[in-house]
Amino acid sequence: MASQAVRGGARQVKPLLSLDNEEARKRALNLYKAWYRQLPYIVRQYDIPKSVEQCRQRLREEFKKHECLTDVRVIDMLIIKGQMELKETVHVWKQKGHIMSYFKPTAEPKPTDFLSKFLQGVN
Amino acid sequence: MLRITAQKSLAGAKVSPKHLFPIFSRSSTDVAKKPEKIEVFIDDKPVLVEPGTTVLQAAALVGVEIPRFCYHERLAVAGNCRMCLVEVEKSPKPVAACAMPVMKGWRIKTDSEMTRKAREGVMEFLLVNHPLDCPICDQGGECDLQDQSMAFGSDRSRFTDIDFSGKRAVEDKDIGPLIKTIMTRCIHCTRCIRFASEVAGIDDLGTTGRGSDMQVGTYVEKFFLSELSGNVIDLCPVGALTSKPYSFTARPWETRKTDSIDVLDAVGSNIVVCTRTGDVLRILPRINEDINEEWLSDKSRFAYDGLKRQRLVTPMLRDACGELKPVDWEAALLGVGKVLKAAGGNITAVAGGLADAEALVALKDLVNKLGSEAVCIENSFPLDGSGTDLRSSYLLNNKIAPAEEADLVLLIGTNPRLEAPLLNSRIRKGYVHNETEIAVIGPKIDLRYDYIHLGEDPSIIRQIENGQHAFVKKLKSAKKPLVILGSDTLSRSDGAAILSSVQSLSRGLQDEMCDPEWKVLNILHKVANQVAALDIGYTPDLSKICESSPKVLYLLGADDCGITRADLPDGCFIVYQGHHGDQGASIADAVLPGIAYTEKQATYVNTEGRAQQTLVAVTPPGLAREDWKIIRALSEIVGAKLPYDSLEEIRYRLEEVAPHLTRYGCAEAANYFCEALELGKKTNAPIDTSPLDVKQKTLEDFYMTDVISRASPTMAKCVAAVQKQNLSKY
Repeated sequence: MASQAVRGGARQVKPLLSLDNEEARKRALNLYKAWYRQLPYIVRQYDIPKSVEQCRQRLREEFKKHECLTDVRVIDMLIIKGQMELKETVHVWKQKGHIMSYFKPTAEPKPTDFLSKFLQGVN
Repeated sequence: MLRITAQKSLAGAKVSPKHLFPIFSRSSTDVAKKPEKIEVFIDDKPVLVEPGTTVLQAAALVGVEIPRFCYHERLAVAGNCRMCLVEVEKSPKPVAACAMPVMKGWRIKTDSEMTRKAREGVMEFLLVNHPLDCPICDQGGECDLQDQSMAFGSDRSRFTDIDFSGKRAVEDKDIGPLIKTIMTRCIHCTRCIRFASEVAGIDDLGTTGRGSDMQVGTYVEKFFLSELSGNVIDLCPVGALTSKPYSFTARPWETRKTDSIDVLDAVGSNIVVCTRTGDVLRILPRINEDINEEWLSDKSRFAYDGLKRQRLVTPMLRDACGELKPVDWEAALLGVGKVLKAAGGNITAVAGGLADAEALVALKDLVNKLGSEAVCIENSFPLDGSGTDLRSSYLLNNKIAPAEEADLVLLIGTNPRLEAPLLNSRIRKGYVHNETEIAVIGPKIDLRYDYIHLGEDPSIIRQIENGQHAFVKKLKSAKKPLVILGSDTLSRSDGAAILSSVQSLSRGLQDEMCDPEWKVLNILHKVANQVAALDIGYTPDLSKICESSPKVLYLLGADDCGITRADLPDGCFIVYQGHHGDQGASIADAVLPGIAYTEKQATYVNTEGRAQQTLVAVTPPGLAREDWKIIRALSEIVGAKLPYDSLEEIRYRLEEVAPHLTRYGCAEAANYFCEALELGKKTNAPIDTSPLDVKQKTLEDFYMTDVISRASPTMAKCVAAVQKQNLSKY
């Protein structure tokens, strides 16, 4: 048992794409650039009520959200997903609503206390 | 006027044993000699029954329901429809089960060849003269004739009208704005006639002609006007008498039925509210033997269309021009909150009769938290002596159901026929079947039974109390006397003196009673939740309001208190919370829309102290909100947050204040009669000489008494019908 545990601790995991952090960083930057270059076309093609600038900001937010990740496999998986999304967008497999859903609508949180429930008429 | 005296009924008059049974059995329990039970066999199942039981009742005991049209357990037996024919072994002919008392050892066959053939024959005869208009008949789906022809009728018709002469047709009658008649559908069961003469006490309905020329009607062109007339709609087994306001509205299987409580009088009748797509379509009685049996007064049954008219649907604030302008809840609550805060503790709250117990307790808590004790109800009551501290001085202590057992009823300053029609039907039941004597002190009114009119002078009460009046002899000799004092009398200036006088007079009778459960002293209220308000601790001193010059007057559904702007100091801010735009809303500076009884789950306590709850049948209109929630929200705005957020929590608070308020269905008895009397004696006020009066004297005054019925077009039509009838020569 003990030997297994030791072996397990030193075990090499199978990489998804990147072999180390540096490679993963490059891939992430590449994906970011690809999206960045595509944005003007997306805005035009999908006729969304957003400017390219707003989209760039949103793109940056999306990447910044995962800033703190260190696990190469997790980063790789997100990169793969990001590429799939990009592909779907470029080929117009998505529709306007799918693009707009990146910009989360300002859903108001449900009221929890008595007074706000009363004013909204939900209780 | 119909009256079946005990002697007559003992001598064998045909009276439903159900009526006589409870009345006699209770008085005869002391008599050791009980008649032996006899054994009969229903479909070979043995059953032991009292002698005098009919075949139909014996069958019901073993769970066999014999089909019937004319028989109704609360009415006298007529025995004319012949649908209940059953075979009795060794009897050559089938017998009518509803009228035939069983004999020892009878073997009754309710499903034999002979019985079935008899039923089939009766059904065929009935259907020969019944129109085939089920698709356009309002009774469709709840029609006894439909159901029984499916169950017991023949599967093929022999009716071939070769001459195309048509079926029997009868002219329709106009018997008022509530009941629609299609007399061709009538099968002459005479239930309506018996109801009218026995229960309602209106001998207007009857039959003319014989055989196929027989007609049920009012002989002359006359309206069938009674406070209980709507019940004949339920009684009619076919679609001959249907509801006029409900006609062509819905089928019974389309409606959703919600059990609820009626709040238009203080009786608290149990009702079923039938709704569809958020509309109340009709209201039907629900059986409760302790309160309304299976009857319902016309106001409770037909005033529901008032729930859709004159409703307050949005909060309103009076603007600079002095006009009420609709605002949203936030603005309204902030506006009212600001005024409440500024008023300091100088706030008075007045609760109306339709306010539920939850709202009452929330409002009292809020007002108390803001530093005021001035919470009162619309109707004034004497506050001298024990005032409303002891429940025995404001309850119908003897309950509603036992009123039919009384042998002497003394009505003081009340008109039970219009104030509590179902209590009056109990008294009338006693009058018809139990030889109850009734005496009245107060104006001469039509109660639909004979009574001794003692006079209008309130000093008669004191004479009776002191034993100087001739009537005392009768009172003393009565075994079960009942004194019913009306709430109109108590709001007189000498109400305290009258109450204390009546208390002492009742005490004198109570001491001689052998039955400790029998309570002589009874107070009859007129509005639904008076008892709950008094239980919670509302005080009945409305007159003091104007003297105390409040800065804020909070009206919780209070429309009948008669307060006007002129009574109040300048700059007094009036808040009205309620569901109808009536008196209260018209003088208000801020209107907060509450909801009506069909829209909320709320507690009501009837005049006998029985807590019952209404259930939600429809959703409230517009922005209207549940009353206690409005007060709870307001409390948070004012900064005196009330500690309950949900119905369970406020019910818990109700329980803290008065535990019986959440014991639904139970009537909490009162006590401390002696103590109340002793405290009352201390006042020693004289009784005025002004004659006793009641507000509701004739049927005209019955229909429109509260915000809901005043908003109801049907009720307005009823008043018009009564006025038209008064002009008629009949």
